[in-house]
Amino acid sequence: MTTVHPGCSPRERGPEADPDVRRTDEIIDALARRRPVGEDADAVVRLLRALAADVDQRLSSVSITPST
Amino acid sequence: MTTCAIVAGIMPNVTEGCVADAKTGVRLATRSDESDLRDLTRLAVQGDRSAIESLLARLRPMVVRYCRARLGRVSGHYHIADDVAQEVCIAVLAALPRYRDMGRPFASFVFGIASHKVADALRSSVRSAVPTQDLPDGPDQGPGPEETVVRYIEAEHARALLSRLPENQRELIILRVVSGLSAEETGNVLGMSPGAVRVAQHRALARLRAMADVESIA
Repeated sequence: MTTVHPGCSPRERGPEADPDVRRTDEIIDALARRRPVGEDADAVVRLLRALAADVDQRLSSVSITPST
Repeated sequence: MTTCAIVAGIMPNVTEGCVADAKTGVRLATRSDESDLRDLTRLAVQGDRSAIESLLARLRPMVVRYCRARLGRVSGHYHIADDVAQEVCIAVLAALPRYRDMGRPFASFVFGIASHKVADALRSSVRSAVPTQDLPDGPDQGPGPEETVVRYIEAEHARALLSRLPENQRELIILRVVSGLSAEETGNVLGMSPGAVRVAQHRALARLRAMADVESIA
């Protein structure tokens, strides 16, 4: 848990505390966990979600046999 | 046990589509996961066969996703990327006996190797023949052709935009979004603090949005 000193301004807490930066982190976390993001109007979020889905895809010929 | 014996005995084939937990989603590493992984790594380095298998099972899906995102498809397939992912896993196994825990997560060691393997593959102009898939035994449970095409086009568009980012930002977004690493793990791979990762990913996303906006206007 991040402790935020009530007397500190966002500038003093650093760029990481910027609400926009934190919102982006939430979006990225949701994309990484393959969970709904709630930003369907955001074209870049949609594209990144498509990329994640594309690399996750499971086709046929899944093999767990040892290679030699 | 020699490395070759370990590799031959437990190394699964990373064939097209072999991302074991794709259906259940990606779980970001928690602090206890990192502790488990550290214990697992310690046992694996000592040659514990079941620890090596468990370690590989944890890491391989992330490596496959990373290689697929970086290398993309060739002739519509991920064979090349999956072959490189296989090479990464073999290289990790081969390097395991020499691995020393220096306090950084094992994932940073793995993605360091993956990054080099991907760079080698990108430099290589040799493209091997692309094997065709086996005929399916039953009905395909995957998305329909229209959804597949839309996803394919959007994924390629995402790759095109990512390719225009500075290398560090591209790597960061792929590790965070595609491989599912936490900000802490990504920072360890890239030599950044978690806070710097969060700021950099914000800037990267803003840059991607700006590029997408320019494209939509043009």
